[in-house]
Amino acid sequence: MGRTDTAMDDLLNDFLAETAEILAEAGGALVAWEADPADRAQLDAIFRLVHTIKGSSGFLALPRVTALAHAAEDALDQVRRGNRPANAALVTGVLGIVDRLSQLCATLGSKGAEPAGDDSDVIGALAAAEDMSEAPAEPAEIQLRRDDDIVTDLQGWRSIRVPLPLLDSVMTGVTDIVLARNEFARMLRESGADPALIAAFDRLSDSIAGMRQSVSQMRMQRIDKLFAPLPRIVRDLAQDLGKKVRFATSGGEVELDREMMENIRDPLIHIVRNAIDHGVEALDGRVAAGKDVTATIAVSARQSGNQIEIEVRDDGRGLSPDALVQKAISARILSAADARALTPREKLELIFRPGFSTAAKITSISGRGVGMDIVKANVEKIGGLVELRNDEGRGLAVVLRVPMTLTIISGLMVRAAGQYFAIPRGAVREILLETSDTVRIERVGGGEIVTVRGEQFPLLRLETILGRTRDHRDDVEDRALVLVRPGQGHSYALSVAAIHDHEELVIKPAAPMIMATGLYAGTTLPDNGRPVLLLDVQGILAAAAIDASEAGRSLDHAVEAEAAAAAARNAAQLLLFRDIGGRTRGIRLSVIERVEEVPALALFESAGQIQAQIGDDIFPVHAAKLPEGHGTLKLLRLNDGQMVLCYPIEEVVDIVRLPDTVQPAAAPGLVAGIALVAGDPVELVDPFWLMEQYARGAVAPAARQPICRIADDHDGWGDNFLAPILQSAGYRVVAETSGETADVMLCLTDEGAARAGDGDVPVIRLRASAAAAGPDDETVYRYDRGALLDALRRRTGGAGA
Amino acid sequence: MMDKLYLVARIADTRVALRSRAINSVVTVGTPVEVPAAPPHVAGLFALRSRVFTLIDPHVVVGLPSVPVAPGQRVVVVDVAEHGYALLADEIEDVCFIDAPETRVTGKLLPGWARVADAMIEHEGHSLLVVDPSHFITLPAQRAA
Repeated sequence: MGRTDTAMDDLLNDFLAETAEILAEAGGALVAWEADPADRAQLDAIFRLVHTIKGSSGFLALPRVTALAHAAEDALDQVRRGNRPANAALVTGVLGIVDRLSQLCATLGSKGAEPAGDDSDVIGALAAAEDMSEAPAEPAEIQLRRDDDIVTDLQGWRSIRVPLPLLDSVMTGVTDIVLARNEFARMLRESGADPALIAAFDRLSDSIAGMRQSVSQMRMQRIDKLFAPLPRIVRDLAQDLGKKVRFATSGGEVELDREMMENIRDPLIHIVRNAIDHGVEALDGRVAAGKDVTATIAVSARQSGNQIEIEVRDDGRGLSPDALVQKAISARILSAADARALTPREKLELIFRPGFSTAAKITSISGRGVGMDIVKANVEKIGGLVELRNDEGRGLAVVLRVPMTLTIISGLMVRAAGQYFAIPRGAVREILLETSDTVRIERVGGGEIVTVRGEQFPLLRLETILGRTRDHRDDVEDRALVLVRPGQGHSYALSVAAIHDHEELVIKPAAPMIMATGLYAGTTLPDNGRPVLLLDVQGILAAAAIDASEAGRSLDHAVEAEAAAAAARNAAQLLLFRDIGGRTRGIRLSVIERVEEVPALALFESAGQIQAQIGDDIFPVHAAKLPEGHGTLKLLRLNDGQMVLCYPIEEVVDIVRLPDTVQPAAAPGLVAGIALVAGDPVELVDPFWLMEQYARGAVAPAARQPICRIADDHDGWGDNFLAPILQSAGYRVVAETSGETADVMLCLTDEGAARAGDGDVPVIRLRASAAAAGPDDETVYRYDRGALLDALRRRTGGAGA
Repeated sequence: MMDKLYLVARIADTRVALRSRAINSVVTVGTPVEVPAAPPHVAGLFALRSRVFTLIDPHVVVGLPSVPVAPGQRVVVVDVAEHGYALLADEIEDVCFIDAPETRVTGKLLPGWARVADAMIEHEGHSLLVVDPSHFITLPAQRAA
């Protein structure tokens, strides 16, 4: 290869790199200028960019590029001179030229020569745009300053182009120097060297640190570069969709590692496109919502510490958590049961689930197979985060938070099996000592789980995953749990022998066969010069084949899951309602047939009894007086299979699981007992008692309840303990003093034999001791429920349930 | 001519010739860092001038039991697909100019060797296998499984 050719190639490469940048910048500048044609500075900038391309292409003998650049320059110059108006047609024409130039440059880059072809179409389009233009703009507003503009430009940019591999090799070289310095420093310390020598070394050390800083700086680029193509994308997409969008960027001076920039370019473009396609409403939608028809999309960057925050904010409709849930359920990426357990934040984050698309229909823009899941994965791959700040109805902000440089991440160094490993700090939720009071480790069916403050995590031991044994030198007291959250909605606890420290780590990919284990994300070289493997926290999860999903895991969620399970089993559920008096009460859901809403006028009084007319039927209502007012009234409709009773309520509060423990009421009545529901006492309505009040007399008591009288109840045991059992077994319990004729009498004392004079009423005697007095002892031990109910059944001729 | 330069070394108990242009350098290693759960021929990691290299035990690749790394042992550093590897050598003899032509491998080799050997070459009255270091990086499929 001849020397001249090489020089030519270098020139061409420089030209291509420079032109690619200029074209991206020009696209953005053109769109900005279109929005404000009076912005003279913007026009001058575009003119200079095109002029630069024309100049360098002429030198390289690229006739097509030169012709195109010349046409654009000419048109822009006419505008500068005031001979031609700045309008959308002109901008579209120039953008057409910019596109053609990009294509040509791409071909030049791959083929090394300018392809033959004809550009009269785009050049003609630009000329035609002039003919079609309406009234000429006011020439007076534009001044002629062309020559000095170009001069200032040349002075403004004093920089040279450096090939990236050279930059990378400088970076590697400096890292080598740093490592050698560290080694040397250690040796100096150990040798007990002369302080003067150490001082001299420290100076060297400082300048090396400064140099490392500068080299890192060399790789930095202004984020402007990343923003440059966005205005063009926004303009084109907004036009396609018939939306009006104002686009603004800020913080373009923030600097970012060039490799990082490459990695967030596509996610950023995707988010911006999403904002226009899904976020911004159609024009009529914006009018209906009382918003400015022109939507605003703002992209801003700012640096915070070692991180760069890039925010894409729109003032569109925002995300609707409920709509997201519905969509997720219909897309079968979420079950209805799981959906109930989601927090509002988790609902929003459904958009990051694979296979999720927020558009009601797939549009040409959204249907490109790239979803927010890919965006999130790409950002997380480089150690970044994606956050949503949603304001439903008013807009959405998507925030990308990425480390400033790709290669350096913050890592947590841990020890296991006698060697060190690094865990990306971003994936670590919390670090706890295994001996901590808040940690409870249990073995369950061969696996281990850990409960931390009520939340359960699957526990993985790093040694087990790596197939190693614990190092005998490890102190059990040092063992720590790292709560790892590798991705959305997944977390687990990783048990390690010890936590070492945090370090800023330079990460390099490991050899393919090491990456293939799925356990490592790369290697790093800390200051001691011994390589350390970076653990792949997601891969470990896959290797362990455990379900680390957080759904239904925490105890709060567990209660809900339990409730759902209880419902499935048809277990007792309690309907909580606020009654007319404003008191919260509960009633077993199974006795409620339905909740009726009736006009107050449907209630009437008849024979001292409130009745309700619902449809063609008349039902008794449990109320002392007719409701006041003429509004509507909610009625719980209780049905025992034979009759219906209405119970007026203010409103239904909730449906909860019937608590296991109920404090029974002292005497049978409307309230069967009190239970704690979510910490608050709730009166449980006794449907049995309720129905009983209205069953009597209303309908013929076909299945009359056997009446059971409790005698000799000196200490209230019969009333408090025995009566509820009897009632639930289908007996009506009457007090000893009651005049009603009982079917059976329960005598609570052994010596009550003399009082068995209640006609023919059979008597069952209860004894206090568990053991019978003799073989013919007919008394029943008072806590032997089965024997007691048996005896009752026999005495009353099989009645009762 | 570079093409005729060979590194003569004993690798996996066998004297072989490695084409010098395939080799980056020959260095000594300290104690490598183990890679748990890695394939058996990965003997560990070590750092050299801020690069991390993967140490390969050729014994395992040709089907012999693995041999522990001795501190100060010499390794042959090669680059394969932009990653740095180091082959553990039992002994490094010399870099020499061998004028004899490479010949086709004659005779039946053990399967492990047949996979890594490219040719044979005559050197000072001995037949040496010419091996391609990059073939040591991957294990035969059935072993890697």
